[in-house]
Formats: sequence, structure tokens, C-alpha cells
Amino acid sequence: MIELPEGTRERIHELQELSDKAEDDDQGARQELRRRLAQEAPEVVARCSDSARTYRRLLAKRSSGSSPLVQEAISERARRMALELAGENPTPLEVLLSERVASLWVLVELQEALLAAWYYKAEGASPGFVLQMARLQESSNRRYLGAIKTLAQVQKLQGPSRVQVNIGGNQVNVSR
Amino acid sequence: MAWERRGDGVYYYKTERQGGRVRKRYIGNGELAHSIAHADETRRRVWAERKAIERAELDEARSLASAGGELYEAVEVLAVAELVASGYHRHKGQWRMRRRD
Repeated sequence: MIELPEGTRERIHELQELSDKAEDDDQGARQELRRRLAQEAPEVVARCSDSARTYRRLLAKRSSGSSPLVQEAISERARRMALELAGENPTPLEVLLSERVASLWVLVELQEALLAAWYYKAEGASPGFVLQMARLQESSNRRYLGAIKTLAQVQKLQGPSRVQVNIGGNQVNVSR
Repeated sequence: MAWERRGDGVYYYKTERQGGRVRKRYIGNGELAHSIAHADETRRRVWAERKAIERAELDEARSLASAGGELYEAVEVLAVAELVASGYHRHKGQWRMRRRD
């Protein structure tokens, strides 16, 4: 099980509460949300990114059938996919969102391969088993598409307002 | 399906479902009855083994799918919070900038 650290989980819960209030047009909550995001988002995003990478390694290991070479190939392909999706000069949140898409892509591919392998087994699989596997795959596919949509929304809505500045040789992305 | 004692002998019976009713069918206790019982036992064992494999496979698939569940939700919260903090709100499923922002 990939579990977020307790502190991170609490912060995310608090951010969600603030975000819900702010979305209900609570100006105070929005100000507080901005302050909290500026203060805490880098660490929370970093923790989530750690968990996302662990999850992707777990999926790649399961997909590889105990072959270290295949495992490495899957990890590398997912990593490149995440990089490509994140685009140029991504914010840490965009990197995280891209990593989530890449992880879910590995999961969906793995589930498809497992289901196909069961279809072609000589003795076949029971209808109940195939149905449950198909439901799992459908749910993962929905999440995968949802992850792509959120990434696209964040890139579209926040992209044009992003400004890149160079401070002491470091590139820094500043969002509005 | 079972061997049942009737008087001095033991006889093999098969339980079958016919039109929603369960019926017990007498097979006997001869050589043929033993062969049928053996075949039934083999079929049951193979079915149970297959079920166990399928259950293990499903458990693993479920655990892999749900392992990233909390992470998925957490990332979604962060993305939504970021957009809300930037002045957006959701209107009929679409993100829009609040006018006064």
C-alpha cells in the first residue's frame, strides 16, 4: 500500500476544506488558501511526488514479470512520458500531475495485459472473474482519463500566466 | 455428490439442480460408480484450484489499483486548491475565472 505520511495527509485534508470554502466564494478562505499553498505546497507536492514514484516502481515491478530489464524499460518509458507531458519549465504541481498520468498509464496497460492473458488461457477464466477484472480496468481507465483532464486544465488555465525568471542562475516559475 | 450409507452398503449419489429444484441421483457402488466419483472429485479439485488462482489474481489486481487511490485523491485536491486559489471556480463542470478576481 502506498500511504502518504500522516502530516501530509492532514495538510491535504485542511487544504481541501479551505478550497471548498473558497470555492463557495469565501474571500477569507481564499486568502488563507493562497497563504497556505505558498507556505506548504512545495513540501506537500514533494511528498506526493515521492509516493508517486514509489507507486510507479511497484507497478513496473509487477508488470515486468520479475525481469529487471523489462522493469527498468517500463520505468524509463513512464518517466519519459511524465517529462514530455509536463512540458517545458513545469511547475512542481504540473510535474506531479504528469507523474500521476504516467503511473496510471502503467496501471491501465498492466490491467489490459493481465486480462488479455486470461482470455487466451487454454482453460479460460470464469465469467465472474473476467467481469470483476473488467470493472477494475474500467475504474482505472476513468481515473487515467480524469488525471489527463486535470493536467490539461491546470496547464491551460495557469500556463499563459506563468512567468519564468532567472535568479542566481536558477530558473524559477512564478504563477499568478 | 457423496457416498452415503444405506443399510449394509455405501452408495454414490450425485446432487443435481433441475428446474430450480435440487435432486439427488443414485449412481451406485460398482466399478462405474467409483470411476464417476473419481472424475467428479478431480473436476471439483480443478475447479477449486482455478478459483483460488483467480481469487489471488483479483486480490492482487485490486490491491495494485487501490494502492494509488489515496495518492490520486491527494493530487486532485492540490490541483483544485491551486486553481481555486488562483481565482477560478467550477461552473457546470467547467473552470471559470471569478469576475471580481
